[in-house]
Amino acid sequence: MKIKENHKTVPETALSVRNIHKSFGDEEVLKGISFDANSGDVISIIGSSGSGKSTLLRCINFLERPDSGEVAVAGEVIRTHRAKDGLQYPSDKHQLKQMRARLGMVFQNFNLWAHRTVLENIIEGPVQVLKHSRKKAVAEAEIFMDKVGITQKRDQYPSQLSGGQQQRVAIARALAMHPTVMLFDEPTSALDPELVSEVVQVIRQLAVEKRTMIMVTHEMALAREISSHLIFLHNGRIEEQGPPDVIMENPKSDRLRQFVGKF
Amino acid sequence: MIQFFNNVVSWLPELLAATPLTLTLTLVAGICGLVFGTLLALARLSDSLVLSMPAGIFMFVMRGTPLLVQLYLIYYGLGQILPGTWVRHSFLWPYLRDGFSYAVIALSMNQAAYNGEVLRGAIRSVPKGQIEASVAIGMTSFQVLTRVRLPLAFRDCLPVLTSDIIILLKSTALVSTITVLELMGTARMIQRESLQIYEPLIACGLVYFAVVIVLTNIMRPIESRLTRFRRGNT
Amino acid sequence: MFLTYIDYMGWGAKGWGDEFFFGFLMTLKISLSAYALALLFGFLATAAKLSTNWFLRAMAVTYTTVVRSLPEILMVLIVYFTVAGLAETALVKAGLVDKGFQFDPFWAAVFALAFVSGAFMTEVLRAARLAVPEGQIESATAVGMSSMQIFRRVILPQMMRHAIPGMGNLWLSVTKDSAIVAVLGAFSELLYTGYRAAAATREYVFFYGVTAVLFLLITLVSVAVLQWMERHLNRGYV
Repeated sequence: MKIKENHKTVPETALSVRNIHKSFGDEEVLKGISFDANSGDVISIIGSSGSGKSTLLRCINFLERPDSGEVAVAGEVIRTHRAKDGLQYPSDKHQLKQMRARLGMVFQNFNLWAHRTVLENIIEGPVQVLKHSRKKAVAEAEIFMDKVGITQKRDQYPSQLSGGQQQRVAIARALAMHPTVMLFDEPTSALDPELVSEVVQVIRQLAVEKRTMIMVTHEMALAREISSHLIFLHNGRIEEQGPPDVIMENPKSDRLRQFVGKF
Repeated sequence: MIQFFNNVVSWLPELLAATPLTLTLTLVAGICGLVFGTLLALARLSDSLVLSMPAGIFMFVMRGTPLLVQLYLIYYGLGQILPGTWVRHSFLWPYLRDGFSYAVIALSMNQAAYNGEVLRGAIRSVPKGQIEASVAIGMTSFQVLTRVRLPLAFRDCLPVLTSDIIILLKSTALVSTITVLELMGTARMIQRESLQIYEPLIACGLVYFAVVIVLTNIMRPIESRLTRFRRGNT
Repeated sequence: MFLTYIDYMGWGAKGWGDEFFFGFLMTLKISLSAYALALLFGFLATAAKLSTNWFLRAMAVTYTTVVRSLPEILMVLIVYFTVAGLAETALVKAGLVDKGFQFDPFWAAVFALAFVSGAFMTEVLRAARLAVPEGQIESATAVGMSSMQIFRRVILPQMMRHAIPGMGNLWLSVTKDSAIVAVLGAFSELLYTGYRAAAATREYVFFYGVTAVLFLLITLVSVAVLQWMERHLNRGYV
């Protein structure tokens, strides 16, 4: 069952990442990452701390600026140019804004707007960016709140919710933008163990609905269960990738074997 | 003793009649101060030197000199310059004949500088995550500023802003020195006319005290309401 | 034309330069005296506020609440007239001084300024005192130190770290509030000098401008000193 998207036909390649390089000062954190996500794929990016997982994810929606490389959403490339200082910058603010609207991001620290209620958080994007009417946004928000199980808390403020509840609101907020691809940056890492399962349940449901998702996570069980594809990042390069069962049962690289062995 | 008390009370009606002027000064300068203060804070935080340096100098000068000096400078200074200019024959002149306009100008500029400093700190310390979420969802810079940064910054420094309003109210007393007949000015006039030294001042003090109490109690629930998102569940 | 402005600031009978110099010094004198006295008032009122005696507490609370709710200029006028008028008469009547006694207007003004600033100082000191963890005092008591020792060796040093920023701001306030005594017309501090110079020459912009610059100078130097102090005091801390 496919969820209605913003545009009429969804080309097969929902997200395409080509040759992303990123350095912080002298240290090169991403050394040329390329991968594709087809519509309905769930790709989990795994690896030890410092391997560049979060940086990669944040480069996709340009929260971090890639030093070189290309990102394309549903076939449309995010336009960049090289400026006088030799660095690469996005060319078209308007296009970048639209692209970001199509990439729904869920943060490790939720980042819900503290001064808005749950409902207001969810409708903020649709009303302000997608220019939906408030009525329409609220009607849709009801569906998403129900989906993540947070309807009773609609008029409460983030500070009144538990971590798990806040993260579920964050997921609803991302869903409300009808994104082409959803980006999860370690969605459960900031949660107390008892609260992890309620969020995992929601993510699992989204995978069942065949949403295109890119997830950076430490939750190996979840990654293995729902992913169509695993990418193992080490020292800024894709060390190994493939369907979870394949690469986790028979890891080709030593490092992946070591990594998997820990679980 | 009873006579003293009676005298004090007898001046109250006249003083209370002058109170609206004090409140008007506070309100106008308060609002102007907030608006220009926000602009100053944004200018000060901007990357462009053309914006941040004049703003910084203005704020330093306004906060580094006494309000009384600023009042005199504007009232007498502009009073010295303006008659020689086109303003003398413009529609503005009637407004610039008495001290009220000068008082508003000086008070607003002063208030803007203090508010700007407070807001600068508050805008800078909005949690980065809130802004990232706004950027990630596709908001324009303007939207991020007006829908996330400014609302959160204001609510962060609201206690300081409200106490600054009280300070402003007290500062309006200084404009009595440039012929504005607000509360303090009226009290001084009563002193001169009645030759009583203490009674008018005591009565004046009672009115100020009452106004401050009332104002503080009006602002507290507003403050509470605007910051309820912070407090979580008890 | 520019030369006339230089003439205005000359020394001696024709120029106002020397008047401004002495006015500047006078402002510093007033500010320093008032600040020191305010510190005294502050400590006394803080002790009263934190004491177990309800009457002392009530007096201190009344002091800080009332004084902080009223405009400084009003307080200065009331206290000045009270000191320079009532207090004098009272002392003469009580026979403690002889008839010609008059409070030096300088000290009356200083007292007035200190009275007002003392209320704000009290709040700064009270908050600083409360920021000292009880445990510190308990361990000192357990070791057997006397109250005086505890105050000098434990409370005061730790209080000061918390009080310095507030006290620094108060100093800046006092230097600016000192301009208020100009309305008393009793003696020539900086603003009153500016007032006289401007009125005499009708050069309002210039002389009030000079006044502003001189006040700014006080602020600049004070801020530099305060920043040095803060760095110096915090050098042991992370």
